[in-house]
Amino acid sequence: MSATQPNRSGDIVITGLIKRFGTMNAVNDVSLTIPDGAYCCLLGPSGCGKTTILRMIAGHETPTSGSIHIGGQSVLGLEPIQRGTALMFQSYALFPHLSVRDNVGFNLDIAGVAKSQRNAAVADMLDLVQMTRLADRLPGQLSGGQQQRVALARALITKPRVLLLDEPLSALDEFLRLKMRGELKRIQADLGITFVHVTHTQPEAVALADVVVVMNQGIIEQAASARDVFMAPRSPYVARFMGAQNVLDGKVMQATDATVSLTGDQGAQFDVPLGSQRVQPGDSVSFAQRRDLCHIVRGAVMPATNTVTGTVDAIEYQGSFFKITLKDISRNEFIVHDAEADFFANPLVRGDKVRVHWNTADARLLQPDYAPATDAAVGGEAGH
Amino acid sequence: MRTQSGKRPLSFWLLTAFFVTFVMFLYGPMITIYVLSFQGPTGGLTFPMRGYSLVWFEGLFEQRRTGDFAGSMTRSLILGVACMFLTVAISVAAGLAFRSKFKGSGAVFYLVIASLVMPGLFVSLGLAITMQLAGLTPKWWYSALGAHLTWTLPFGLLIMFAILNRFSPSYEEAARDLGATPMQTFWRVVFPILAPGLIGIALFGFTLSYDEFPRSILAMGSKNTLPHEIYAMTTTVTSPSLFALGTVTTGISFLIILAALGSIAWINKRRGQSLGK
Repeated sequence: MSATQPNRSGDIVITGLIKRFGTMNAVNDVSLTIPDGAYCCLLGPSGCGKTTILRMIAGHETPTSGSIHIGGQSVLGLEPIQRGTALMFQSYALFPHLSVRDNVGFNLDIAGVAKSQRNAAVADMLDLVQMTRLADRLPGQLSGGQQQRVALARALITKPRVLLLDEPLSALDEFLRLKMRGELKRIQADLGITFVHVTHTQPEAVALADVVVVMNQGIIEQAASARDVFMAPRSPYVARFMGAQNVLDGKVMQATDATVSLTGDQGAQFDVPLGSQRVQPGDSVSFAQRRDLCHIVRGAVMPATNTVTGTVDAIEYQGSFFKITLKDISRNEFIVHDAEADFFANPLVRGDKVRVHWNTADARLLQPDYAPATDAAVGGEAGH
Repeated sequence: MRTQSGKRPLSFWLLTAFFVTFVMFLYGPMITIYVLSFQGPTGGLTFPMRGYSLVWFEGLFEQRRTGDFAGSMTRSLILGVACMFLTVAISVAAGLAFRSKFKGSGAVFYLVIASLVMPGLFVSLGLAITMQLAGLTPKWWYSALGAHLTWTLPFGLLIMFAILNRFSPSYEEAARDLGATPMQTFWRVVFPILAPGLIGIALFGFTLSYDEFPRSILAMGSKNTLPHEIYAMTTTVTSPSLFALGTVTTGISFLIILAALGSIAWINKRRGQSLGK
């Protein structure tokens, strides 16, 4: 609806955004462009600055410096309603003394819209979120999922060009979370407005977002499509945080146009596609290797490169595969997704020594993290 | 008393004895007064009861018998209500202001709270002397009101802190996000959500003022508030009307407390179970 109106574009351009609390930079020089009508997820551990960015876009926090433009217009200093943004709060913040109908109609009431007109708009909105039946209830009489629908309707009735969602699914149980996740995506697609969604859950971001922004310590590590962030992480932090890749370190021995040869911690030899990066012999580099594209070497033949030896530390059945955690390979844990049939043909137990091999094409060279590594990083590994 | 599992320990009996004594000290004298207020027309200030009647309640409204009961009660009610409204208004404003740590907020807080430990009699005395210097005459409706506020405001502020502890600032942000001005946010969102707690502050504001004695004594001027009138009567009135007075004032306090608790319960019930969640 909004996309068809002139000057209602919901593209967001953030430039050099900094937010300082005391001496700490919660948001540290962030620049980001979110296209109109995109579903964008800000993803990162708690305290990474994602919510602060959201609140600055919403107008509930003032940037220390930098600019925010929505639809080509600077919104700094504007009230939320003038920005064309609407924020859905993590706690929902439904007014406990007002019925569902009055909560949803609050904005129209404030704006002085006549009651009949207001009730009609509220009815449409409650219809959209399937809450018509409970319009006369008070928020305290609703379940978490129902409260969330009301919060969504209340935000959408302002006809925003950007809907901001602060951890919208975190208070729901697993079943409702998956259901509401689907509904958010459906509503976003129907309305065609920009959604900016803050989450710390990788599958949520990957399932929903056109643009995934992976953050750490107030810095964007990578902003890309879900597939790129997942399959082509830029840095070790992103690879570890997304959880689909093992991260290994090595020293550059020699580089050709297409491939770089590394020596790892255990003296193992790795070949990694070079991509567009430039490396010198002697450099320390990291690379990522997909957990689902490596396999346990069960025969006697041991390939010369891309093979590591580790000790089985944990085995978890995942339905279609076994997640096998190995130690003694690098500072980080190394995880192999072993096909169910392979595992049952040749079961492993904790403490077994195994060799793992992968193809050169399934490894990717990484660039260094922007933010210094800390314990906040997934896995808690020490940095370089 | 023996139970199936055996004898109760000695500590049970000691604590029970202590509790019974406590309850007797608390309610015994009051019950004596309530019973004696229904003394028959020929009865006296002490037991035995010579029949039962309401004659001593009628006597309350005749000045020749009891002093200015109706007048002092009116004064105390007006004072209590004024004190109640001011306590709520000032506590709410101050409580909301204290949420942001402004410069010197700690010092201001301790200045306010300090009046809790000041002896009430000296607050009253100091006020009287200051007013004399300023050439003003103490009157119940302004100097006593001020003296009472020094007592009710710290309580009001402390209760307000407790209320705001459970009040999420996201309600205000949500209202602002939906286009409400600060005034609209306060009257349509903040005030209604805080309302049940504010009834508690109102109750304190009223009852602390209604039975305040030391802070009134030199600040109320020539007309007595109810507690002072009652105190005067204990030396001059020699009829069970004195007891009837006690019964009536207790009844009024009781009704006010019931009304306050009832309205809190009613609001909470209307909002379902999860206020402020």
